[in-house]
Amino acid sequence: MSPKGVTAAIRAVLVGMLLAGASAELLAQPPHEAQVPSPSNTQSYPPATQAPPGTPWSAQAVREFLGLGPAPDAAAAKRGAPVYAANCSFCHGPQARGAEGPSLIYSELVLKDQHGTLIADFLRGGRPEKGMPAFATLTDEQRKDVAEFLHQQVEDVANRGTFQIKNIVLGNPKKGARYVAAHCLGCHSLTGDLRGLAEKWRPADLQHNWIMPPRTGDRRAITATVHAPQATWHGRVEQIDDFRVVLLEDSGQFVVVARDAGVTVELHDPLAPHVAMIGNLADSDMINVTAYLETLQ
Amino acid sequence: MKHPRVVWQVLCLAALLSTANANQLDAATLGQPPTTSWPTFNGDYTGDRFSSLKQINTSNVSSLQLQWSYRITEVGAQRGAPVPVIKSTPLLVNGTLYFTIPNHVYAADARTGATLWSYSWADEGGHLVGNRGLGMYQSWLYFLGPDDWVICVDSNTGKERWRKQIADARLQYFTTTAPLVVRNHVLVGVGGDAMDIRGFLVSLDPETGDVQWKWWSTPGAGEPGIESWPSVDAAMHGGGGTWLPGTYDPELNLIYWGTGNTNPVFAGQGRKGANLYTTSIVALNLDTGKLVWHFQLSPHDTHDWDNTEMPVLVDTNIDGRPRKLLAQAARNGWFVVLDRTNGKVLVSTPYVKVNWAKGVDKRGQPIPDPAVQPNVSGSMTIISATNWMSPSYSPATGLFYVNAVEGFGIYYLLDTDPKPSGYGGTVNVLGTNTRFLKAIDVNTGKVRWQHEYPNLNGAPATLGPGLLSTAGNLVFTGDDQGNLIAFGADQGEILWHFRASAAQSNGPITYLLDGKQWVVLAAGDTLYAYTLAPAARGIP
Repeated sequence: MSPKGVTAAIRAVLVGMLLAGASAELLAQPPHEAQVPSPSNTQSYPPATQAPPGTPWSAQAVREFLGLGPAPDAAAAKRGAPVYAANCSFCHGPQARGAEGPSLIYSELVLKDQHGTLIADFLRGGRPEKGMPAFATLTDEQRKDVAEFLHQQVEDVANRGTFQIKNIVLGNPKKGARYVAAHCLGCHSLTGDLRGLAEKWRPADLQHNWIMPPRTGDRRAITATVHAPQATWHGRVEQIDDFRVVLLEDSGQFVVVARDAGVTVELHDPLAPHVAMIGNLADSDMINVTAYLETLQ
Repeated sequence: MKHPRVVWQVLCLAALLSTANANQLDAATLGQPPTTSWPTFNGDYTGDRFSSLKQINTSNVSSLQLQWSYRITEVGAQRGAPVPVIKSTPLLVNGTLYFTIPNHVYAADARTGATLWSYSWADEGGHLVGNRGLGMYQSWLYFLGPDDWVICVDSNTGKERWRKQIADARLQYFTTTAPLVVRNHVLVGVGGDAMDIRGFLVSLDPETGDVQWKWWSTPGAGEPGIESWPSVDAAMHGGGGTWLPGTYDPELNLIYWGTGNTNPVFAGQGRKGANLYTTSIVALNLDTGKLVWHFQLSPHDTHDWDNTEMPVLVDTNIDGRPRKLLAQAARNGWFVVLDRTNGKVLVSTPYVKVNWAKGVDKRGQPIPDPAVQPNVSGSMTIISATNWMSPSYSPATGLFYVNAVEGFGIYYLLDTDPKPSGYGGTVNVLGTNTRFLKAIDVNTGKVRWQHEYPNLNGAPATLGPGLLSTAGNLVFTGDDQGNLIAFGADQGEILWHFRASAAQSNGPITYLLDGKQWVVLAAGDTLYAYTLAPAARGIP
C-alpha cells in the first residue's frame, strides 16, 4: 500500500499536498463538455437528469439556445385562453394546431410577432378573402391576450426546457412487489432503504434512480485495486482513462498511477447489479416496480 | 489610342499578379484521394477519411511532435455554448488551413498556425450547436450562418462575395453543415426539429448562389412515398434534416445523403406509417436532385435517430468481382453495406446491443418492435449509438471504424394529443454509457476488434471525436477525457497519445506539406498540428 519504493512506472504520487480544489481542476472533465447542447440538436437539452424539466433556468436556456424570441407572457396567455376558445378554436383547433383552418404553430405571422403587435393588427382586419373573419369587436387587450396564448402554444411545442413528464405511475404495484421480493431484497429492505422514496423523488426520477442510483457517497463509489510490479494500491477511483488511474486511498492520499506495461487495474462497482439491469429490464417490470415503490410510505 | 492600351496592359499585369497570389483550388484535385491537400469535408468524395500517406506509421508514430497550436481566444461564450468548440474539419488548400466555429471562419498558415484572416457573421437566430466546416470552389469558400444563410467568402481575403438565405430560422430550421462542392453544385442541407420542419437538400450555383434544384426529404401530394404518411399535412411537417454532408460517385453521378429523424420527434401517433424518406440513405442524381433509390434505417422513427451519419463509399471485390458499395454505421445502432448502384443490401446487422428491432424486412431494412416506443410510463431502449462524428474506412484493413456509444435511456411520451407537435417526448439517459472504438469488417458486419474507453462518469452521449485511418496502419481519434490517440489500424493497440486541453472535437486530417506528413485535429477551442520529430523522418 505504501508508495515507497515505487518505480518509474508511477509518474506521480500526490500526497496530502494535493488540495481538494486543485484535484478537482486536474481531474474534472473540461467543464464545457457537460454543458454543450446536443450537437445534433436532437437529444433532450438540457438532459433531464441534470436540470429537471420545468425549471425557469432550463426554459430560458433552451429558449436562448433555440432562438425562440421573448418568453410568452403567461398571465396574458391565460387571459387569452377563453377568448381564443370562443373565437378561434373552431377553425384552428383547441391548441392552435389546425382543424378546418391551418395550424397557427407554424404561422409566419405568429412566429414573427413580438408581444402581440402584428397579431392584434391582423385580427382587427382579418383576411376575409381567405375566409378569416375580422375580430374588430374584441378589445385591443383581448387581441394581444390571444397573441400571447398563441405564443404560449408555440412555446409548449418548441421549448423542451418547459416539458413536463406526465403521471408515469401506471404500473401494477402487486406485480412490482413480486419483482422486488424476487430480485431486490438480497441488498435492500422494504422497511429500511426502500421506504419513502416517493417523497424524496418525483416519479420519473424515482424510476431512473431505482434502476440506476445516483453515484453519491462512498458506499456507491467505484473502487479499484491497482497492481504494479512493486506496489499495490486500493482506493476510490477519482479518474480513469487509458493512460492513468487516480485513486483516493482510505488515508486521504491521492495516488496517480500511470497505466504502463505491467500495471493492472481491477475495478469494483458496488452498483454492478443495477448496471446489469440496464438494457435487460422489461418495461413491464420497470413500471410495476415504480408503481410499487410509490406505495412504500 | 495609346493611353487606353497602357491601362489595359497594367490591368492585365495586375490580374496576372493577383492570380499568381490567389489561392485557387484546382478542380482536378476535388475527388482525388487527399495527399497534398484536404479540399472537402471528408478530404475526397468517398467519405472514407482514409489517407494513403505512410510517412507516419506504426513504427514511428510515438515520436509525433506538436508543431503549433491555434487557440480561439477572442470569441468567448456563444448562445448555448459557454466556450467555442471546433467541430469543423479543416480544409487544407495550397498551404492554408480553413476552419470554423459557429459564426466564425479562420484562415491560418498551415506551416506556422499564424492567422491570415478571419470572418465573422452576426446571426439573427439559429442554433450555435456547431459548425462542420466549409466547401471550396476555385477561390471561393462557402460557409453557413446558423440562421440559414449561405455565405460566399473570398479564400484570399475573407471578404464576403454574396449571401443567400435558404430557410426561416423562426420555423426552427438551422444550418451547421459543411457545404459539399461537386462540379458546379454547392450542396447545402438543413437541420432543426423543434417545430416540425420539412427537411430538404438544396443545390446552389457556386457563382451566384441561385437555387439549381431542391429535393424535399418528404414527398408531396401524389408523389411516390406519400403512401407512407397518413396525410400530406403530416409529410409537410415530417422532419428529415440533411445536416451533414454526403458523398458522391462520379461514375454513377449519384450523391448519397443521410436524412434526419422524423417529426414530431418522439410522438408518432399522428404519423402512422414508415414516414419516407426520413431516417434513410438516399441516392440522388447530382444534376437534377431526383431520387434514384432509398434505404430506410429507422422506419417510423420515434427515437430521434437521425440517419445523417456518413454513407461511406467502399470499393471492394466480392467473389472476384469489383463491387461499388456503400457502408453506414447508423445512429440507431445498425450497420449496413449496400450496393450503391441500386440500394440492394449486402450486410444489415446491429453493431451495438439493441432491443428495438424484430429483424429485417425483405429489403434488409430493420423492423422496429412496436412495443419499444416512447410511452407515458416509459420505455427503455438504446441511446444514439453514434452521431455526427466522422467514421473512417480503410481499404488496407477492410475495416470500418466508428466511435460508438453503448447506453440506454427511458423514453417518455409527453404529447398524447392525436395531433402532436415538436418533440412530444423526452429521453432520460440512465448514465452508464460506455464509448467504444469499433472496427467492423465490411464483408460480414462483425466487429473485428473494439476498444473500450474507460470513463468513470460514463461517456457523454453526443460530443464525440471523428476518425482518420491511414496507410501507415494507423487510426487517429480521441477519448472523452482530453487524450488524442493513435491506434494500430489492424489490431487496435494504442501507439501514441497526447493530453490536450479538452476532448477531441472534430475529425482529424492529414496531408503532405513540404515533404512532411502533418496530422491536424481539434480539441475544444484549439487546433493542434503535428509532424514527426526530424530524426523519425530519417533526417539526422
